[in-house]
Amino acid sequence: MKKMDLVSGYKGVVGLVFGNENSSSNDDSYVERLLDCISNGKLAEDRRNAMAELQSVVAESHTAQLALGAMGAYKLVRGAVETLVSALTPVTHAKSHKNEVQPASMNSDLLSRDEQNISLLLSLLSEDDFYVRYYTLQVLTALLANSPIRLQEAILTIPRGITRLVDMLMDREVIRNEALLLLTYLTREAEEIQKILVFEGAFEKIFSIIKEEGGSEGGVVVQDCLELLNNLLRNNASNQVLLRETIGFDSLISILKLRGSTYSFTQQKTINLLCVLETIRLLLNGGSEADPAKDVERLTNKTVLVQRKVLDHLLMLGVESQWAPVAVRCGAFRCIGDLIVGHRQNLDNLASKFLGDEPQVEPALNSILRIILRTSSIQEFIAADYVFKSFCEENTDGQKILASTLIPQPFSMTHAPLEEDVNMSFGSVVLQTSCRAASVLSYVLKDNIQSKEKALQIELESPMPSFGSPEPLLHHLVKCLALASSKKGKDGKPNTPNSYVQPIILKLLVTWLSDCPSAVHSFLASRPHLTYLVELVSNGDATVCVRGLAAMLLGECVIFNKAIESGKDAFSVVDAISQKVGLASFFLRLDEMQKSFIFSSPKPAQCHKPLTRSNTDIRAEMEDIEEEDAYEHKNEDHPMLASMFDSQFVNFIKNLKIGIRDGIVKIYSHPKSNVSVMPAELEQRKDEADVDYIKRLKSFLEKQCSEIQDLVNRNATLAEDVANTGGGGSSQTEPRPNGGSERVQIETLRRDLQETSQRIEMLRREKSNIESEASSYKTLCAKTESDLKSLSDAYNSVEEANHRWENEVKALKNGDIEAIKAEAKEEAEKESEAELGDLLVCLGQEQSKVEKLSGRLMELGEDVDGLLQGIGDDGGAPEEDEDDI
Amino acid sequence: MSYAYLFKYIIIGDTGVGKSCLLLQFTDKRFQPVHDLTIGVEFGARMITIDNKPIKLQIWDTAGQESFRSITRSYYRGAAGALLVYDITRRETFNHLASWLEDARQHANANMTIMLIGNKCDLAHRRAVSTEEGEQFAKEHGLIFMEASAKTAQNVEEAFINTAGTIYKKIQDGVFDVSNEASSYGIKVGYGGIPGPSGGRDGSSSQAGGCCS
Ligand SMILES: Nc1nc2c(ncn2[C@@H]2O[C@H](COP(=O)(O)OP(=O)(O)OP(=O)(O)O)[C@@H](O)[C@H]2O)c(=O)[nH]1
Ligand SMILES: [Mg+2]
Repeated sequence: MKKMDLVSGYKGVVGLVFGNENSSSNDDSYVERLLDCISNGKLAEDRRNAMAELQSVVAESHTAQLALGAMGAYKLVRGAVETLVSALTPVTHAKSHKNEVQPASMNSDLLSRDEQNISLLLSLLSEDDFYVRYYTLQVLTALLANSPIRLQEAILTIPRGITRLVDMLMDREVIRNEALLLLTYLTREAEEIQKILVFEGAFEKIFSIIKEEGGSEGGVVVQDCLELLNNLLRNNASNQVLLRETIGFDSLISILKLRGSTYSFTQQKTINLLCVLETIRLLLNGGSEADPAKDVERLTNKTVLVQRKVLDHLLMLGVESQWAPVAVRCGAFRCIGDLIVGHRQNLDNLASKFLGDEPQVEPALNSILRIILRTSSIQEFIAADYVFKSFCEENTDGQKILASTLIPQPFSMTHAPLEEDVNMSFGSVVLQTSCRAASVLSYVLKDNIQSKEKALQIELESPMPSFGSPEPLLHHLVKCLALASSKKGKDGKPNTPNSYVQPIILKLLVTWLSDCPSAVHSFLASRPHLTYLVELVSNGDATVCVRGLAAMLLGECVIFNKAIESGKDAFSVVDAISQKVGLASFFLRLDEMQKSFIFSSPKPAQCHKPLTRSNTDIRAEMEDIEEEDAYEHKNEDHPMLASMFDSQFVNFIKNLKIGIRDGIVKIYSHPKSNVSVMPAELEQRKDEADVDYIKRLKSFLEKQCSEIQDLVNRNATLAEDVANTGGGGSSQTEPRPNGGSERVQIETLRRDLQETSQRIEMLRREKSNIESEASSYKTLCAKTESDLKSLSDAYNSVEEANHRWENEVKALKNGDIEAIKAEAKEEAEKESEAELGDLLVCLGQEQSKVEKLSGRLMELGEDVDGLLQGIGDDGGAPEEDEDDI
Repeated sequence: MSYAYLFKYIIIGDTGVGKSCLLLQFTDKRFQPVHDLTIGVEFGARMITIDNKPIKLQIWDTAGQESFRSITRSYYRGAAGALLVYDITRRETFNHLASWLEDARQHANANMTIMLIGNKCDLAHRRAVSTEEGEQFAKEHGLIFMEASAKTAQNVEEAFINTAGTIYKKIQDGVFDVSNEASSYGIKVGYGGIPGPSGGRDGSSSQAGGCCS
């Protein structure tokens, strides 16, 4: 007797009571005792043994079974399941430490490890006792929260397991609500479970509960239903088809319909509406990425949704309802965008929608544009902007229609100050509206050359007469761009609303100039534009995006430039870049921008966090929306840009960067050839005169020379850049502005200097030669002078001798010897006469020498007369003496 | 979207016999020459008319591979009709029919209508199971039988519609208590559907044997 052994084996409560043989009359009390022991036993072991014993008794004995039933086994089960709930729920009041073992999760892990346990729990759901079902659902929910994957797998293997759970949706309200939560956990990212749920009719049940609860006006149960619905549809093409083909979208769309008190939007209603909008979005997203038929499914969903009038309800929520909260309006706009993008009929449908009552009907697109321009919420601006982006995507006709409405008049409308923004200055209102209009315009122009050309012809009346004559829209935008940056600087405090103005205007300009030489031409037509842009690229106060986009724009002025006039052609722009910015730092700007979070953060379309039950999450999300308006960072890009710069724009920029790189390299490797000459042309032509030939060659050489100079210039700039990137390499080492060309200039100057000093040296040598020549003439002159003096002395002495001789002769005459005297006299006269003749010849020679020297000295600038003056004094006297004779 | 009745079908049978192709031919009138292994289950739907009544068919095409068996079994109980498919060019798929039937008996509701289909009858030259053998098996197990081709569309419409006809007849005959328990038999009564005579559970279970034995 197993029973006896067991009971006597333990000296617990049970063992003491039963000593007798097993009899039917004893079974009742035995079972009763066991039950008592199970619920009140002091030792865990006792209770466990009592449980095991009860099990075997009930299995073996018919009367025991009856007894158990009569005594209310459900109480036992209820107690057991309730205990399990406690065992699986973390104790909330005791704050546990991080690395402490979590008993709740450990228990659930242990429990879910055995599929049998789950099977048992599921079977308890068929119990009649309400509490058993209620606590069982809670146990399962707790298990799912702690070990979802294991439980999902276990439930899949249990036949009819999911059927039982879905049936709970038709149970009493309390059970139904528990079941909703459980199923929401169960279906999270479990495609097969989602499908089985739908097979079991989950859609019908969900919609009927929502209807019962009052649709969007209902309470949190409606939200729970919608969350479950969203789990069933998320990335699940099969379920989407089923909903569309056999149940239809009507019950879903009717939840969007605003009825009754449309002016009151409680928080729960807001959340419910956000959940339905999410459902619509999921349908628009189609099945899983891997599904080859995804696009077809998506398109069909779009078609059917619009056929079922979803667009009207969305426009009501987004545009017409004045009381819808911003979050709902934004959600509606995003849905509208997804609904129309790439879908011909839906695009036309939206384009032909009119809103408002009879006298004041206007196209829906106009109403949305007005919201873009006027809303004070950045979120709403982004969402409404998304509608236009979606409308223009791959919709050349739509772009053309919008472009054709581009006439100055609506623009001036946008300059009207807005009542809601009284605390903004007029200037910032203009900037704000210009920036938002710019964003819309960039979609209208994107990849559409006709629209670009059309927009180029737009001239704006200036908003204030003082602004001067009408100017092209393109130029006006550049003005706004400059105005936005100056605004930022002057105020001192961060001018937050404008922190995204510049990037968005730049985005438009970059879109506009892309592949559009005439836009480039118009942009460069005003010289300061280039200068301003170059400054913006190197402006340290500008954000990464502003500098990067400005650099992109500069790059476009190079690669899409068809101009040939110098100063506006691609070469001039490249030269401006390389001289004022430096190529290396130019490309660095592009890289920096691509690496910034605006460009590298995952795009909203790819990361969308679903709304969840916990209210804190939702509240956080709502706060998010408000907080972004109060964004305050001076020198960083506004986070909203991450959503404005969608993945397409990011891609566009990526490709553009490659294009710019290639284009600039090309300019350097194939320089302009003013002097392209075939070798044959360098030969002398047949009947060309030598002179002409030489002339031709000479002019060719001159041109080539100047081109070489250009190249040397550019080469030097490049080398400078290379040197700058090579050394240091950090972004801090700004290239010395003008470095390259300066170097070339210095080189030229140095060469000039050398040449000049050489010439000076030569002149100096020449001068000293002349000086030494002059001094040698001077000495020669002095010598001649002294010669002359000694000659005249000699002449004087001869004269004197002659005089003495005459006297002697006189005296002799007075003597006897008259004859001898005469003879002697004659002899002496002869002698002196010959001597005089010699002297005269000699004198004549000297005279001519002096004359010659005087001439030469005069040539050399010597004061000849002065020199000769002294000589005359000495030399003149004897002559006079001679005359006196 | 309005229908008099909605019937849930499942398509079962070995992998590669052409279950997905049959569904695609029925819903899209297309043939898919490449074998895209079905993972889990796929859904398809189509509206037909029987006795001038619009009837919506919801069809779940299941994966034939053994590893998905536990998932696909979840669909048996709630189905009103099943297409049990084998490939006339591969004998083993015919040999496995008994085990498929056993599975169905165990997990499906007793009133499920089963249509046996010998698929790929366009490949007559490679036939490995004769038509007679198929007929014989169906007779023995109380099934409706047809040879069909998902490629040429031969008998595809008929297979789905005849099954629906049989179910419809069962409703008319009061086999199901459509006013109460219809959904657990894979049937839904829509607008214009006549709730069958209120026979209650006893009536339906007494007829159960007649359908599948
Ligand atoms: N000639 C011919 N080929 C067929 C026919 N039906 C299916 N096939 C081919 O058989 C192969 C398998 O078809 P599927 O419909 O994918 O097979 P399945 O039964 O769905 O297989 P699982 O999804 O793995 O269970 C495919 O290559 C089809 O082209 C038919 O009627 N005639
Ligand atoms: Mg298949």
